[in-house]
Amino acid sequence: MTKRKESVEHVLKVAQAELLLQRKENKKLALDLGIANKKLALLDKDKSKRAAELIIANIELAFQEDEKRKRAKELGLANKELVFQNKEKGKRAEELAVANKELAFQDTEKENRAAELVIANKELLFQNKEKESRALELGIANKELVFQNKEKESRAAELIIANKELVFQNKEKGDRAAELVIANKELAFQNEEKEKRAAELVIANKELLAFTYISSHDLQEPLRKIQTFVTIILQDENINLSESNKYNFKRMQLAAGRMQQLIDDLLAFSRISTAERKFEKTELKLIMDEVRAELKDVIQEKKATIEADELGHAYIVPFQFRQLMYNLISNALKFSNPEVPSRILIKSEIQLGSKFNNKKLSAKKQYCHISVQDNGIGFESRFSERIFEVFQKLHGKELYVGTGIGLAIVKKIVENHNGFITATSELNKGATFDIYIPTET
Amino acid sequence: MNLKALDIVLADDDIDDCIFFKQALDELQIPTHLTTMSDGEKLMEYLMDKTTLIPDMLFLDLNMPRKNGFECLAEIKINQKLNQLPVVVFSTFFEQETVNRLYENGAQYFIRKPSGFSQYKNTIQQLVTFISQGNTPEPTMETFVFKIQDGLKI
Repeated sequence: MTKRKESVEHVLKVAQAELLLQRKENKKLALDLGIANKKLALLDKDKSKRAAELIIANIELAFQEDEKRKRAKELGLANKELVFQNKEKGKRAEELAVANKELAFQDTEKENRAAELVIANKELLFQNKEKESRALELGIANKELVFQNKEKESRAAELIIANKELVFQNKEKGDRAAELVIANKELAFQNEEKEKRAAELVIANKELLAFTYISSHDLQEPLRKIQTFVTIILQDENINLSESNKYNFKRMQLAAGRMQQLIDDLLAFSRISTAERKFEKTELKLIMDEVRAELKDVIQEKKATIEADELGHAYIVPFQFRQLMYNLISNALKFSNPEVPSRILIKSEIQLGSKFNNKKLSAKKQYCHISVQDNGIGFESRFSERIFEVFQKLHGKELYVGTGIGLAIVKKIVENHNGFITATSELNKGATFDIYIPTET
Repeated sequence: MNLKALDIVLADDDIDDCIFFKQALDELQIPTHLTTMSDGEKLMEYLMDKTTLIPDMLFLDLNMPRKNGFECLAEIKINQKLNQLPVVVFSTFFEQETVNRLYENGAQYFIRKPSGFSQYKNTIQQLVTFISQGNTPEPTMETFVFKIQDGLKI
């Protein structure tokens, strides 16, 4: 404020000095005019003419002086006006100064702000660039993700299908597992039952064998007595007996004889299981010779020829095998064709199981194959299994005497040797029995 | 009474039994005609033959060559022509399991062959009379095993 006053005063002083100068000028001018006037009065006589002219000039000058006064007055007014204007301008200047300061302040602020903005701008630019490169990277990553997404979607679809399948399988397995658990329990139960049953069977079997053996022996006794008494009556009362009762007594003898045979056969059958088994490498020819000697009479009666030249050895229980061969050969003789001389061919060979046409044999195991072939009456092929069962007969006992145990004994002996036996035949075309016995026990 | 003789078939491989059976029938008042078959196969061939008339009754032994009594019974019961034929099974042995099996398989009666000849004849005679009078209802386990009735006059 003081500053402003000072400047205003200064302006006013300048204006006053100006006015004083002008006044001085004016006085000087008046002074000059007085000098000039005196010179003129001095020159009056000489210059009367000139004086008149000067008076005119003087008047003129007075007029000019007046004019100048007027002008000065006007200048004064103008000065006042200027002072006022000056004052106004001072005020205005003051206001402007304030405004200026404010502007200056604002300017500084703006500059600061601008500087800050410049920095912020740079920062933003940098960030922008960063973001752009980031965006680029993200673009690539995005594409990758889109691809992966698709892959995952198709994988997911596959997995859904697979999952369904698994759920189904799982259920199936669950069901199956449940079934198996039940089946398992059932099997465990059955197993236990079977073990019990097996133990029972072992005992029962022992008892049965003992029973068969003892009873067979004991049964022989009363049977022998019946046969003896029948013979006595037939001899002593032959004259007194009616023909029909003679016949009855003969039938009684026959029945007793059949019982004798049954007991003998059952005894033989039970012995096969109980007797000790000792395997020996045996020449089959030796066994054949023994059997041939035993059956000598029947062979002669039937006019039979037995060919047994191609015989090797076998690992067998000799006494059992003798029984086997005896039963087979006596069977062949029994069921011979009465119209043709009986011919029996016996052969043996050792080969791998695969060489033989029998599915029961292990391909890589070695077997001794013994075959007994005859040209007898044979049998229908449908009986090829049944003939090996106990008491199974194809003919009535009046036609062919027998108990139906012979071939059951044969089969049992073969099984004791871990072997197999098959029978092949057609009615009236002979029969062939094939025996396969492993060469190692 | 009956002009037509009773047509009876016996399947048994035992000649003695066949003779006993024939003697039992011969003593009956009722006229009978007996056909005997010595094994199951012959029996079935005979029964299946188109010229054979269905007999009035069949006596069937169990243990026979070629085809046993069980097999014959099963074949008879599945045969349209023969399944109404009364079948009397007779055997030397009485075994409850065997009896149950025969009962289930549709036999009419089971008899155990008696060892006394008069008992044997009596059994055959009573049974033949019984069946000839139409006593062939669906058997029950109580009536299945035939027992001779002492007071019965033939």
